[in-house]
Amino acid sequence: MLAERIQPMAYQARRIYVELMFKVLGSAFQAASEIDPEIQQEGKALPTGLLFEMKVIPDGPRMIVEHLGNGRFLSHGNNPPRPVDLSIQFKHIAHAFLVLSFQEKTSVAYAHDRMLVDGDIGYGVRMTRILNRLEAFILPKMIASRAVKQYPANLDLPEKLLTASRIYLKVATKFLKW
Amino acid sequence: MSNQFYEFFCPVKVIAGKAALEHIPYELTGLAAKRPMIITDKGVRAAGLLDPVVNACTESGLDIASIYDDVPPDSSTGVVRKIAGIYRSEQCDSIIAVGGGSAIDTAKAVNILVSEGGDDIAAYSGAGILKRALKPFFVVPTTAGTGSEVTAVAVITDIEKHVKLPFTSSFLLPNAAVIDPRMTLTLPPHITAATAMDAMTHATEAFTCMARNPLSDAYATAAIRKISDNLLKVMDNPRDADARLELAQASTMAGIAFSNSMVGLVHSLGHATGALFHLPHGLCMSLYLPYVLEYNLESIREPLGELLLYLDGPDAYAATPGNRRAEAAIASIRKLRDTLYKYCKLPRTLKETGAVREDQLDNIAELALDDGSIMFNPREVTLEDARAVLKRAWA
Ligand SMILES: [Fe+2]
Repeated sequence: MLAERIQPMAYQARRIYVELMFKVLGSAFQAASEIDPEIQQEGKALPTGLLFEMKVIPDGPRMIVEHLGNGRFLSHGNNPPRPVDLSIQFKHIAHAFLVLSFQEKTSVAYAHDRMLVDGDIGYGVRMTRILNRLEAFILPKMIASRAVKQYPANLDLPEKLLTASRIYLKVATKFLKW
Repeated sequence: MSNQFYEFFCPVKVIAGKAALEHIPYELTGLAAKRPMIITDKGVRAAGLLDPVVNACTESGLDIASIYDDVPPDSSTGVVRKIAGIYRSEQCDSIIAVGGGSAIDTAKAVNILVSEGGDDIAAYSGAGILKRALKPFFVVPTTAGTGSEVTAVAVITDIEKHVKLPFTSSFLLPNAAVIDPRMTLTLPPHITAATAMDAMTHATEAFTCMARNPLSDAYATAAIRKISDNLLKVMDNPRDADARLELAQASTMAGIAFSNSMVGLVHSLGHATGALFHLPHGLCMSLYLPYVLEYNLESIREPLGELLLYLDGPDAYAATPGNRRAEAAIASIRKLRDTLYKYCKLPRTLKETGAVREDQLDNIAELALDDGSIMFNPREVTLEDARAVLKRAWA
């Protein structure tokens, strides 16, 4: 189709970037939940086995994690083993890009009607708080304070966990300049 | 360019003022409706508020096909199913809700069932499930506060499963909201005060929370001005129909504002308190509003300061230096709260409600953190923060 041929490269790049960031978030989700008491505390209130996804509708990139109980999470990459229980959906890849490239805070994206919550709102609120904290882990403080409402005062995680994510991020931020 | 973006939507026709009820038959006929069902509660009927609605219709040769007057304060899926059954057996073709938040929410849910079919309202719970317009639907509010006549949500309790089912769709919005001063004229003082403070909170949170936008700002500020100018007039003279109408309009305007820009922590705490201790929503709003504004102060200094103009008028605004206006706005809201206490003993603190113990504050804090409205609060609220606000609101 003509539309496909004239689609600028930047669109392609944006999609790859969003896919990559979902991957980073998914593995950070799992890793951080194994060691961070705050995330565990927040996660505990969620039902065990809760399958959570974040995705771009109608069938864009997605990230799936499962609550294993006690605030621990398992990343399923982009493959849900069964229908998900809770879904946070971006209305368009452009909106996911704004958030995942830290140009728009998650909370602002909600306020701007960029995303929808499908499922229990209370669980959605909790997952968003965990995502906020994850963003703060993954990102250097300077960028993170742009991405979350408030930069947490008590962040201290082994540097080792963070390096892996940050390497991903370095790759990812290359796309930002396009 | 900044990241500013917003959406604003309100397709509800507002029919307001003297003899507004008498417009209902014309409006119904315009939608080809001939057999309306009225959904209301016992209190509304006992207050004689149904008569002017029914008379307005019969005088125009439009008979009310059925009246359901037994909506409980906390409506349930069973009630919705029952009313839908009556609607069908009486072959109604439209709905008029007459009442406060519960009657209106119930009517919204009934409208889903009678339009989409089936008996299981839970199947339609969630956001964006409905894909087409429902039956003709009119709302006649009898309190001036909730703004439910212009919101696209309804909440119905599933008693067996102990859950509150939320329904969100723009198709839940009525075709028209009919605001007639006769409907709020006999509202008792403490309900007048509490519901007006709910409207005040809608407008204040709409103006200071994260999803504020220029259109909702205009509605919010106008609503605050009307409440500030008229609430005490009504408390002084409950039969002041003009001031009553102003309050009712303010409530609708605040409803339009907050349904487009959402609310924040006052509502998160209020919803939690209401769920745990069955305290009236408006009362919770009145309690928490000043303390939450204090907590949010440094994030909302500018917009809150602007509100002083609408709360206290141009002279007070001009006489207050720019960097003191936010504090003055909070002081003004506190003063209003204290005055309402003098008029009708509307509790000023959680302790004064007599319904909550101090050792239960943590339960409120924990539940509030799961409330959807906390997402839109300008400050990220931690459990500690919520506890601290509750402590201040205690006594
Ligand atoms: Fe409210």
